[in-house]
Amino acid sequence: MTSIAIARKSIGRRTWRFASLAAVATIVIIAVVAGLTTPAFLTVGNGLVIIRAASMTGIVAIGMSYVTLSGNLFALSASALGALLAVIFALVTAQTDLPAGIAVVLVGAVLAGVLQGVAVNLTGNPIIATLAFGAVFRGLASVLSGNGVLRIHNTAAAWIGTARPLGVPTQSWTFVFLAAVSWLVIRKARLGRQIILSGANREAAVASGLRVNIVTCLALVMLSVGVAIVAIFTVAQFSEARSNLFSGYDFDYIAAVLVGGIALRGGQGTPLQAALGAVLIALLENFMLLNNVSGGLLMTVVGTVVVGAISVFHLLQGKNR
Amino acid sequence: MLQMRNVAKRYGATVALENVNLDVKAGEVMALLGENGAGKSTLVKILAGLEQPDSGAIAIGGKPHNIGSPAQARAAGISYVAQELSIVGTLSVAENVFLGDQTVGLLRSPSSLARRAKPFLARIGLGDIDPSLPAEAFSVAERQLMEIARLLSREARIAILDEPTAALSEVEIDRVKTAVRTLAEEGCAIIYVTHRLGEVFELSHRVTIIRNGHSFAPVATSSLQVDGLIEMMLGRRLEQMFPPRAPSVGDKLLVVEDCLCQGLSSPVSFILRKGEMLGLAGQVGSGATAILKVLAGLTPLYRGSITLDGRPFTPRVIRDSIKMGVAYCSDDRKRDGVFAVRNLVENLSAPVIDQVSRFGLMNRRAETTHTQAVAQQFNIDINGLGRLAGNLSGGNQQKVALGKWIGISPSLLIVEEPTRGVDVGARAEIYRHLRAQTARGLAILFASSDTHEVLGLADTIGTFFQGEMVQIGSADAMTAEIITRDVTHPAVAA
Ligand SMILES: Nc1ncnc2c1ncn2[C@@H]1O[C@H](COP(=O)(O)OP(=O)(O)OP(=O)(O)O)[C@@H](O)[C@H]1O
Ligand SMILES: [Mg+2]
Repeated sequence: MTSIAIARKSIGRRTWRFASLAAVATIVIIAVVAGLTTPAFLTVGNGLVIIRAASMTGIVAIGMSYVTLSGNLFALSASALGALLAVIFALVTAQTDLPAGIAVVLVGAVLAGVLQGVAVNLTGNPIIATLAFGAVFRGLASVLSGNGVLRIHNTAAAWIGTARPLGVPTQSWTFVFLAAVSWLVIRKARLGRQIILSGANREAAVASGLRVNIVTCLALVMLSVGVAIVAIFTVAQFSEARSNLFSGYDFDYIAAVLVGGIALRGGQGTPLQAALGAVLIALLENFMLLNNVSGGLLMTVVGTVVVGAISVFHLLQGKNR
Repeated sequence: MLQMRNVAKRYGATVALENVNLDVKAGEVMALLGENGAGKSTLVKILAGLEQPDSGAIAIGGKPHNIGSPAQARAAGISYVAQELSIVGTLSVAENVFLGDQTVGLLRSPSSLARRAKPFLARIGLGDIDPSLPAEAFSVAERQLMEIARLLSREARIAILDEPTAALSEVEIDRVKTAVRTLAEEGCAIIYVTHRLGEVFELSHRVTIIRNGHSFAPVATSSLQVDGLIEMMLGRRLEQMFPPRAPSVGDKLLVVEDCLCQGLSSPVSFILRKGEMLGLAGQVGSGATAILKVLAGLTPLYRGSITLDGRPFTPRVIRDSIKMGVAYCSDDRKRDGVFAVRNLVENLSAPVIDQVSRFGLMNRRAETTHTQAVAQQFNIDINGLGRLAGNLSGGNQQKVALGKWIGISPSLLIVEEPTRGVDVGARAEIYRHLRAQTARGLAILFASSDTHEVLGLADTIGTFFQGEMVQIGSADAMTAEIITRDVTHPAVAA
């Protein structure tokens, strides 16, 4: 008889805490390496660039995490919706004033969320449904903008887009605030619990009397509101909107969620992890840009990080099924 | 044939197995017994290559063996039927039978695969079904039998069955027994995990009991008595399996008149009173569970009328019935009974989220109080409420799946297989708690494949055969023989 080797330790439910720790650790490592090797990295100006970029990706990623946590994988329409809302914001603000622009965009976002939610419930396939909506949104954006650049001249908007209370951009204040709120929503709010349970086991959620369809709609509404906030900030910062805004950003949002270690199947994790994931990706991208890494290589590296992260989490998860 | 020595396994802080030995001879059926959470499934999962022991040794046919993966287990001649169903709903029945079998090429045509699956299905009494249909079209019991057909197709030296009959009724259990006996006669060594003690005596040659992570030396079944066996398993005497029946019942609660629905070939009528337990017995497909599904809001009522507390009751979705104070616990806990990746608090409070939250925020204190109360009523360790439901043993998951419904304080509780996979001790506890609830006026309607459970627990018993209710009457007038006869060949009675 032979002794069987000691088995690998079961990680258990600490996996998710581990995921956040891993993200934080990676962020620190990248920052240290970048700081040591790339002088431009540690400048105040660059710090602001990173924080802003992370904030904008992060706000949408937080919204996206609700969709993932609720068991609906991802919405592939976020970037297109952002463009549409940006165009609408620019049009309305230019015609009337800033409050009206913000109000219309928020109403539009809620509407877009509900519509997509209904479509996801009807088709049962969030990927296909949101992909189609993405095309619609992008198309509408280009129709409404006449394929041109819409400019706004609004000092209040410009302040929102460029101000730095206490030296930190408004975008980042918002990001931190929303991250805190998102944590509260998932941990303390009834809606958060409903999202988590719906994602953990859809059938059991229905059997327990949860209105899973409504939960799906609300998750998409929260994502859309996040997108609206980013759209407003972007137009405010640059004082213009185009129909091709945010093109190709969907991958970043999704990557943030995945690198943060949120379970693809839903029901496990918190939006904070997506926020951390966004910071990580922003750092990585900035570091490579400063080192003149080409766009193609950049995509390859980010993609590889995502694949690596998912694989690691999958392995860990397999251990405590 | 098979020897396991000093096997130990822990999951984080939980010690599942501390020091376990197991010996099984060729041609022998070894019953593996123990309370819920004793570590039976863990032990057999180690043999199946699904878990790695922390220490210990395994020898097969006298030679040391290292079972690092399910593939290695299969190569060593071990085949395994898991406690939780592993049938893939979207695949065909035939594909499920040969799932994971490398000798059957995936490129084989569906029809030839179906032809090859047929004999194995026939051996387990599924000869009539079309093997090319998707597996999800079949009931839990039929899917369970498919698992056994898969085991038969493997031609193993060592066969492991982890609670293969938990979801089955007598007739199907007989098929399983026959299949197991045949396997043993062919020289296969069999490890048989069960909580149904009747099977132990009918089927097994020897018994190995696991308690608190330690195994007892195997005992010949012929030298055992039921009481003694239970005492060895629980470490204490079991005073009483079934609580006394209701001394009296209350007003009419549920009136079902001439109801026809999917699964029934002729209409049924019955009345359920407050404080009463009505047990429905029947084989798979007999229609015993059909009306349960209507009451839960899962399937539509074709014809007839249902009133609850005097008011018409026609739920369209589960939510409707929950709002009316009707709780429904299905027989498939893995699918819709538990949130495996969430902890017990969240599991137990799932149906009462609205009650334990205020202004859209969860009220932690109310939630904890609520879940602790439920856990206590169902003998769930209240210090372990932070554990993930998926990490509990099968029987303990069943307690969670059923217990959470007590939390909504229902007026009517509908249960399919109330104690599927629950050990004798805990089963007696659950019966006692259900009885305590009916004493407070709760009415319970349950369907069970376990004749003894129906007989011991219910005040009133209805029997079903081929979509018809054979008879319904007071449990006092019923015997196990009558029930068995009704659910198999009622014509003989007529
Ligand atoms: N993946 C896991 N992570 C943590 N603990 C686990 C895991 N799997 C099992 N356990 C624990 O190990 C112990 C043994 O579980 P096991 O499933 O082997 O019990 P069992 O004897 O099969 O019980 P049952 O009769 O209820 O099926 C239990 O305390 C269980 O909670
Ligand atoms: Mg088990």
